[in-house]
This record gives sequence, C-alpha cells and structure tokens, in this order.
Amino acid sequence: MTPTPGPTPAPAAAAPAPRPAWLRRLHLHLWPRSLAGRTAVLLVMALTVVQAAGLVIHALDRVDLQRLAQTHDIALRAITLYRAVALAPPAERALVARTFDVTSDSAAQLAPNPPIEDLMLTPLALQRQLRADMMLVPMPQTQRPRDQVFLGGPAYGRLAVGLQLPDGQWLNVTTAMPPPRPWNSATFLIAFLVMTAAAAALTVWAVRRLIRPVATLAAAADALGRDVNAPPLPETGPLEVATAAAAFNTMAARIRRFVDDRTFMLTAIGHDLRTPITRLKLRAEFMEDDEQRAKMLADLDELAAMVSATLAFGRDVAGDEPVRAVNLVALIRTLLDETVDARPEAEALVTYAGPEHLTVRARPVALKRALTNLVHNALNYGRCAHVMLAPPLGSVVTVLVDDEGPGIPPDQLDLVFQPFHRGEGSRNRETGGTGLGLPIARNILRAHGGDVTLANRPGGGARATVTLPLPA
Amino acid sequence: MEQAAAAPPPHILVVDDDREIRDLLAKFLERQRFRVTTARDAREARRVWPNGHFQLVVLDLMLPGEGGLDFARWLRTQSDVPIVMLTALGEETDRIIGLELGADDYLSKPFNPRELLARIRAVLRRAGEPSEKREEKPARGLHFAGWTLEPTRRRLLSPDGVEVPLTGGEYDLLVALVDRANKVLTRDMLLDLLRGRQAGPFDRAIDVAISRLRRKLEDDGRHAQLIKTVRGGGYVLAAEVTRV
Ligand SMILES: Nc1ncnc2c1ncn2[C@@H]1O[C@H](COP(=O)(O)OP(=O)(O)OP(=O)(O)O)[C@@H](O)[C@H]1O
Ligand SMILES: [Mg+2]
Repeated sequence: MTPTPGPTPAPAAAAPAPRPAWLRRLHLHLWPRSLAGRTAVLLVMALTVVQAAGLVIHALDRVDLQRLAQTHDIALRAITLYRAVALAPPAERALVARTFDVTSDSAAQLAPNPPIEDLMLTPLALQRQLRADMMLVPMPQTQRPRDQVFLGGPAYGRLAVGLQLPDGQWLNVTTAMPPPRPWNSATFLIAFLVMTAAAAALTVWAVRRLIRPVATLAAAADALGRDVNAPPLPETGPLEVATAAAAFNTMAARIRRFVDDRTFMLTAIGHDLRTPITRLKLRAEFMEDDEQRAKMLADLDELAAMVSATLAFGRDVAGDEPVRAVNLVALIRTLLDETVDARPEAEALVTYAGPEHLTVRARPVALKRALTNLVHNALNYGRCAHVMLAPPLGSVVTVLVDDEGPGIPPDQLDLVFQPFHRGEGSRNRETGGTGLGLPIARNILRAHGGDVTLANRPGGGARATVTLPLPA
Repeated sequence: MEQAAAAPPPHILVVDDDREIRDLLAKFLERQRFRVTTARDAREARRVWPNGHFQLVVLDLMLPGEGGLDFARWLRTQSDVPIVMLTALGEETDRIIGLELGADDYLSKPFNPRELLARIRAVLRRAGEPSEKREEKPARGLHFAGWTLEPTRRRLLSPDGVEVPLTGGEYDLLVALVDRANKVLTRDMLLDLLRGRQAGPFDRAIDVAISRLRRKLEDDGRHAQLIKTVRGGGYVLAAEVTRV
C-alpha cells in the first residue's frame, strides 16, 4: 500500500508517454498484473495452442480418410462403367458410356486414344490406390483393361481415368475431385470453442487456488510491517508454501525479539533516568542563586523531554492505548490550539483548512503526538504551519502540514526519519531537539496502518503528508 | 499561607521508594510550612498511618512489594484523605485506575517540585471546602444532551461514541459548565478557572475557549443551543446532566 500523493493531480499524466496510450492500454488489458492472472493467461495460451495442434492432426486424419473414400468411390464408378461398356455389344458401347454422364461433375466418353487433358500424371500413391480399388470389381480376366492412364488428382480438382478396352478403344472418365474440406462441419467449431472455454475456466480456478498462499504471505508481510505482534501464518498447505510460512514465522519471531530488546533497553534507560532527574529538580529548589536555579530547571526540563521522547520512541506503538473512534478534526484543532496556547506569538502562523468533522479509528493520545511533532517542526524550521485535511479519497484520509521555510535538502528527505538525525541547521539551534520527532511520528502512524512522508513544495517550503486508513 | 500562622501546618505523608527523593521532598515541603512524614513502602506507610492524622498523601505508584495502587485501594477503605499520585510517564492505565480509585490528582515523574506544591495546595483547598462535590463519589460519566464527559479519562464522547479531543483549558471549562448546568456562570468565575492555563488577555481567552468548545460540540455559535450566552457577560449550559 503506497501512500497516495496529495490531492494535486498526479504529475505522471502530464509526462510524455513512451508508448501510444492505446497500445499501453491494450498491453494492460491483455497482460494482467497479478501472478495468478499471468499464470492463467500463459496456461490458457499454451492450452489453446495444444488444442489447435490436436485439431489439425485430427483434421489431417480426416483428410486422409475422405480422400481414401473419394478414391475408392471414383475407382469403383470408373471400373463399373468400364465393365458395363466392355460387356455391351460394340454398337451400344457409346450409349452405355453416355449413361454415366448423369452427374454434372463427371463425364465419360469412348475415344480412340487415352484422355488428353491439361493435367499432370496422377501421383503414384494415388495411382496404386486406384488400381487396387479397381481390382475389387470381379470380371473375366480377358475383359480387364489392357492399359490404364491416370491424370490429375485432388491438387487439380479433377481426375481423368483412361481405361483401354480389349478392342483397343479407350473409355475416358473424368470426375471432379474437390480438395477435401475438413473444417466444414459446424460441430467442429463449437466443439473447439467449448473445449477451449472449459479448459480456460478450469485453469483459472486451479491457478487461483494454487497462488492464494502467495497473497496470504504478502498480506502477512504487510501486517508484520504494521504490527510486529501480528499473528503467525498457518504452516499448512503444499510443501513449498508450508516451508515459506515457517521461514516467515521464524523471521517474524527474530524481528519481534529484536524490537523487544530495543524497547526494553530504551524503556529501562528512561525509567532509570527518571529518579535522578527528579532528585536534581528537587536539589535545584535549594539553590540560592535564582538565575542559576531557573537555568538548571530549564536544563532539567529539556533532559526530561528527551527522556520522554526516548521512552515514546522505545515504546513504539504508544504502549497500551486502545484504538477507538476519534473526531480527527477536533484532534487537529486541539493540538493546534495547544500549540498556540504554548506560544502565543505563533497565533497567526498556524492555520487549519478542511472539513469540520471526520471520524477515524485511532489511538488519540499517540496520534495527537505524531501530528504535534509535525506541526512543531513546521513552526520550528518553516516559520508557520498550515494544516489541511483533504476530503477522504477511497479508504484513505490525507493530512498535509505545509510550511514556508527553506524545506529539506532532497538527499535528507528520508534520512530525517532516522532516530537522532538532526539537520545541520537545527543542530546548533538554541532550543535543542532530540531528532526523535519524525521517527516517533512515523512509528505511530505506521502502527495505525498509515504513514508520513516529507517533500519540498514547488513554491517553496516543506510539506509533510500524513495518510491514515478510514474505518471500512 | 497567611492563615498558616494560626492553623497547625497540614500533615503530609510521602510514600516513595527512593530515599533521596523522600528526604529532599520532605525538606522542600517543610520549607513551605508543611509537616511531613515519609514512608519507604506500603508496609511502612500502613504502620505510620493510624497515628499520623494526615491531611494528604503523596503516593508513588511504583513501589516495591505491594504496589502503590493496592495501597491506594487500602487507603480508601480507611479514609477519604486526598491522594496525589506520582506515576511513570505514559503509564495511562495506572493513572486511570488511580483516578478511578479516587485519587485527587496525579503528576508524572520527573515532576517539577513547584508544580507538585501547587497541586498539593489546590487539592488541600478543595478538600477544605465544605462543598457537596467532595462527598459524592467520583462520577464515571456525566451525560448531557447526548454527550458524555468521562472525568477519570478527562475526555468527551459525542452522542455516537466518538472521542472529541479537548485542550486542558476547554476540558476544565466544560466541567465547570456541566457541574453547574442551567446556572449562569459569570465571566469572573470562569476567569478564575482558566487562570494560569492560558497566556494573553484573560477576557479574550474565555470567549476564545467558549467558541472553541461550541465548535467541538457542534453548537452553532450564532444560535447556540447548548452553551448559551447570557446578557451581561456570562454563560450557561442548557441541558439536563445525569451522573453514572
Ligand atoms: N518542516 C521542516 N522544514 C525543514 N527541516 C525540517 C522540517 N521538519 C524536520 N526537519 C529537519 O529534520 C530534522 C529531524 O526532525 P525531528 O523532528 O525528527 O527532530 P528535531 O525536530 O530535530 O527534534 P525533536 O523533534 O525530537 O525535538 C530536524 O532537525 C530538521 O533539520
Ligand atoms: Mg521535531
């Protein structure tokens, strides 16, 4: 979950697109972003190719069969006619031959010579087939054709068969031999579509199921980022998934121990410092010199503030404060009013703009501390603090804290969130901070499922962008 | 302090496990004309309690052995003596339990001695008043016009249960208004309440605080229904208040 940019339109829209928009959109549509989607698309594509290949093989088979049947048919018709002609008295032969001429796609005639057509010799395999088929029709050996000539074939769409009668005349039979059309059946296409759709549906379902653990793992990593005490992943499912879950749980446990150690150490230091600081404050009350006493008390206050910041940082997630529904606007107004009450000179420098009412679920004391830190930074380093509450966008609400100061060097934008990091300018300031303001703010906001980032505004000054999830 | 010449100095019991703090605190308070007895832990405190006739107890909640909260509980079975708690920073729960038990105020360590002194004086003054408030058990919640004030947590809940954060000054002001609901509070009375909380001219501070409060109570400033302006300089909370 990336923090959404401010309410200003995303600058990406203005940048020149590297590819035409329609191409990108097409690519976006065809190439899903999720692993499940991609796997499904790849599998469905592969399946379609395999399906198509299977169908082609099947079709070629059909072609062979069709051709065989066609050849057989032609051979039988030709030889049957030949027999009739050969057995007829010579005077009636031409007549008999003509009786064959009943269909439009074939013709037969008696001629003194073999067929003269603009055709090549028939392929040998087909010739062999035709000869074999003709042997199937019984007739006296002496009546069998003296010679046979085959021209054309399916490649020409016609086949001419010349059979020489015992008396030397030729019976020439020409038949249409259309190239086979294996795709020509309606069920064929429907079957193809139904099978492909069924396979695709099955694939998508199976892939979704298989990929689900990856999404679970991602969600767990996300939850761990927000709360180190998030419940462990169930170590079940396929072997690889169970192993990954176990490894993840081990890692989470290590992180938890590390965080606990750090928290314990920081809190221990904070607790231990409380007693000596209290003693010193009491001792200061017995100092004779008023000025020195005031200075000492001021120092001790600063020290106490540092300890309190360190404790807040160590405690990390605001300790035991429960999450509850809070009016975010009242919270912001309260912290701004408190800031102004503490420094009346800042009255005109602190503003709020936004709605009058917005409910979030949060730990009020912690959230107030986080936002206060940002407002104080804006006042300390940026002269003023303009807090804006953007209308909620989706399930995220954005709070902006703008100032009119020098901003932050771009290479420091991330560094300033590290504990105890202070900018060059702020280190020698009179009023010393600890460099924990931003890390505490970020810890608190991340524990709320939100975040805070810093940026420089184009017009000058810094902007802190706070995001918080809204109750669903 | 002027009347201290006549009346005997108030006797204070300081319970803290750190000897230095105990001694320094005793010395500091004695200089302010209090009589102080110290105790190292709950056991010692129970021992000195019967004959002390204490007017106030300063109690560190983090005591070795039996904790401070348990001692406070025991103390409440014995008497109504005011208690000022010293708590660890950020230990919300302890503080809330302590206030619910009936402690009168709290400070988190490290505290400023003068602040402690101010709280002690304020608590003693309140205890001295023959007000009806002291007799009542601390209320867990004050309901008015759908809103709820929770004194132990110092927070305000809207009619739909949403917490509405208030500044310290706003909270005190609202408590004062709710405590005297339907009675007019003059500017002077409110000024007294806010004194020390706000910098700047006090008159303005009252008006500013009232307008901030109205906004948070979603009470339209022009036609305010809840916190009404009284002609001649005063305010009144117009609502029935129920305590639970
Ligand atoms: N609005 C801002 N404008 C310019 N610089 C800033 C701003 N906010 C923070 N910084 C820089 O980031 C540094 C870290 O800020 P952070 O709030 O963490 O610590 P700090 O203000 O120095 O101390 P602390 O807040 O603990 O009292 C600051 O020292 C300052 O240099
Ligand atoms: Mg800061």
